[in-house]
Amino acid sequence: MTATATTPVTAADVPPLVLRDVTVAFAGLTALDAVSFTVEPGTVHALIGPNGAGKSTAFNVVSGIYRCGAGSVRFGDHDLTSLRPHRIARLGVARAFQNIALSKGQTVVENLMLGRHGLTRAGFVRSGLRLPSATREGVRHGARVREIAAFVGLGDKLDRPAGLLSYGDQKRVEVARALACEPRLLLLDEPVAGMNADEKARMAGLIAQVRKELGISILLVEHDMGLVMGISDRVTVLDFGRCIAEGTPAEVQTDPEVVKAYLGTGEEP
Amino acid sequence: MSETATLPATAVPAQAQRRRRVRPSALARIGLIALLAVLPLYIDVGLLTIGLFAMAAVVAAIGLTILVGAAGQLSLAHAFFLAVGAYGYAYFAGSAGVAGASSATGLGLDPLLAAVLAVLVAGFVGLLFSPIASRLRGIYLGVASLSLVFIGEFLYENVRSVTGGFNGRAAPPFSLFGWEFTDANTLVVAGVPFGRFEKLWELFLIVLVLSYLFANNVLRGRMGRAMQTMRDSEVAAAVMGVDVRRTKAGVFVLSSMYAGLGGVMVALAFGRLTPSYFSLALSIGFLAAIVVGGLGSVGGAAVGAFFVTAGPLLITRYSSSLPFISASGSGGYDGGKAAALLYGLAVVLVVLFEPGGLAGLGQRLTGRRTARVLAPAPLTGSSKPEESS
Amino acid sequence: MTDFLNYLVNGISLGGTYALIALGFVVVFKATEVVNFAHGSLLVLGGYVIARLAGDVPFVVAVLLGCLVAAVGAVLVERLYSWRLRDSNVNALAILTIGIDILLITELTRRFGPDILPTGDPWGNAVVDLGIAKIAQARLVGIGVTAVLLVAFFVAFKYSSWGIAMRAGAEDGEAAALMGVRRGRVTMTAWAVAGVLAAVAAVFLCAFPTPGIDASVRQTALRAFPAAILGGLDSTAGAVVGGLAIGIAEAMTGGYGVRLAGGNLNDVVPYLVMLVVLLVRPSGLLGTRELTRV
Repeated sequence: MTATATTPVTAADVPPLVLRDVTVAFAGLTALDAVSFTVEPGTVHALIGPNGAGKSTAFNVVSGIYRCGAGSVRFGDHDLTSLRPHRIARLGVARAFQNIALSKGQTVVENLMLGRHGLTRAGFVRSGLRLPSATREGVRHGARVREIAAFVGLGDKLDRPAGLLSYGDQKRVEVARALACEPRLLLLDEPVAGMNADEKARMAGLIAQVRKELGISILLVEHDMGLVMGISDRVTVLDFGRCIAEGTPAEVQTDPEVVKAYLGTGEEP
Repeated sequence: MSETATLPATAVPAQAQRRRRVRPSALARIGLIALLAVLPLYIDVGLLTIGLFAMAAVVAAIGLTILVGAAGQLSLAHAFFLAVGAYGYAYFAGSAGVAGASSATGLGLDPLLAAVLAVLVAGFVGLLFSPIASRLRGIYLGVASLSLVFIGEFLYENVRSVTGGFNGRAAPPFSLFGWEFTDANTLVVAGVPFGRFEKLWELFLIVLVLSYLFANNVLRGRMGRAMQTMRDSEVAAAVMGVDVRRTKAGVFVLSSMYAGLGGVMVALAFGRLTPSYFSLALSIGFLAAIVVGGLGSVGGAAVGAFFVTAGPLLITRYSSSLPFISASGSGGYDGGKAAALLYGLAVVLVVLFEPGGLAGLGQRLTGRRTARVLAPAPLTGSSKPEESS
Repeated sequence: MTDFLNYLVNGISLGGTYALIALGFVVVFKATEVVNFAHGSLLVLGGYVIARLAGDVPFVVAVLLGCLVAAVGAVLVERLYSWRLRDSNVNALAILTIGIDILLITELTRRFGPDILPTGDPWGNAVVDLGIAKIAQARLVGIGVTAVLLVAFFVAFKYSSWGIAMRAGAEDGEAAALMGVRRGRVTMTAWAVAGVLAAVAAVFLCAFPTPGIDASVRQTALRAFPAAILGGLDSTAGAVVGGLAIGIAEAMTGGYGVRLAGGNLNDVVPYLVMLVVLLVRPSGLLGTRELTRV
């Protein structure tokens, strides 16, 4: 079990995430066509591409929601390909959703405590009877969750219902909830979509801080090129489900295929 | 209570003050329980019986609100699991050749053991259904669960050795360590004889309070959060590490056990079980109860179940003095029909205008947080000061 | 062999009626994502109107008026939820229909009282010998009418602007809106169609050898719910397949007198068949499979 020390997690062993020839088809439509890339430990890896390029599908394959027709996803020694989502989550792969998937009626703390689900044990009987072990567990993990909330700058909004927070704050709760899983790989799905310049700057700062202080890998899907080019170590470009380029931000920006995909026929509203 | 604010501030440290503010509602609850406990001293047997049925219904409804309200899994099978508990108790505790000349037999176990076994069997039957319950989304489960009600009706009439068939069977009285809950060994409390119904009343009240606390604790705990997230988004729950199928199965089993317990209580209150009681209408009544009370709210389920169960009985009892109500079978609106119309209307109005039900309405009126229909209290019991900012 | 054919023909007749009911249920779900638990009561409403009018007006007129009332009733339900609950979750909508079901069936039960009313159909207890099997005339007509209605439905579903909008809407509500399809009219039509199919089904569900109609027909109508589920809640073809499967299974177990624990199994066979199918295919035989796995 991950230690709940009072210092931010320092991920001892962050394994690489390796996608090899991942192919996904829905009813004849190929959403991902033999996509391969590797997220190296401790790096920020961005996945970009026009709408419908297959970025979200790739996320869904990594987190186990979609099963891939061919290919494999490995996280260190673990083969994720056939695992159900909760197993993958418990291996240390956490995800912040693009379209906020918080329980709006629950408070910030309660939402973050959900992130601890895989790290805690209390079942129906133990919590129903309020056995001391369940109470202790709640207190211990509650404390850790408060640290995480403070880390992302939500320390003063802990007991507010998530649904009543501002959009920017809700996005941060998403990230905090994923961090509450004590992940070794963080999947961020369009973390700054729909944000104003101020909120964007705060989120970019938070991502940089996560990487610097926690040392975990981050796989990022984002449309905001400023953010992507600013914080990524490597960038993979998808178009129509195929990987068309990969490299450092600088390399990718000048790649003729990429320019064509973004400016040419591939562009969609 | 605002008096606490005017107390000399020096005498009360901040933390204690904070705790004291929660007290009034807790006091009110203890007061309510005390009031219910002494009620048998003042009301007649007719009202006592109505109260017993209402308490049985409240326990069962709490189970349903966990399943439907908190976990978002619609079920119409609740009547079936009540029947499993009720017949289970009657079978385990009953003895062969008991009065009533029905074909029903029994194992003649100790009533307390029989009750526990009946609840476990209800849970086990719920578990048997879980390959279906755990894989279907809420709404599919709603229709699939209909099947249990009808398969149940078939079984009640045909598995005669357990159920006694169409005419039903007797359920033996409860006893605790040899002390019988019957009129035979009547106590006298404050000048009032405490017979079968009075004793059952006190027993039911204890069971009810414990069921209530257990459910509230579950909803506030780890599994409660998991199921509420699952209701809002199965994908989000799964990605956060919740085993969705297992949680669904678990909630279904828990809810079945609550129904089973409610069923045992029905058996004890009624003393006799007939198949017609456990019909689809009973399931629908429970659904109406938890919707009117406020989905996912344990307190709301209690209030809703009380109205839906006691309502028809009370209307029937006082029908002669109520306008528009006619005697049963006369073609007008008898008690059952009038109550059904009332709660049907209440369901429609609640869904349309106050989705939080009575619980939501209550929260609004008392000015508590409005965004929450489900209101588990803050997470940790210890009001630890927040270390951040 | 004769027995078998007899049971088969009767099963097809019963299954066709279930198919009509299940189809209405599915159409409503496809159009609006509402699982309409009031569908059985709407069927009883249509049947009640037909039976009340029997004798006063020609049978065909009574049926048409019954269809009209059931359709109007269904559309009122649609208006009610779309007035307040357009974006609510499916459970809230289903619960609303349960509330309406309580109201409708309570009032209809009161109106029927202890009576079983004849539907006034012109076929009486006549039995036709088809050579291979004997069947009540009413049931034979039922098969014919059901076939005509089903063909008409699928033609409309495929070619009419309503059907195209229905299919487009079910696949992508946004695209349909962009195409200028008026959601309101499409969903109202879907509910009206469901009401009409239910009222027609009521006639054949209560024809000979059934003595007539009373509120308990809702119970019989509910057996079409498993038909819809086992076919796939969002599949129109599945509703027909499911209806026939359940009708035939029921007629066969009833005909051969298959008994379980001393009871006639045919009463519960629809539900048993549904459970078995759901164990193997959680979204039904022809329903859309979930893309996601959790």
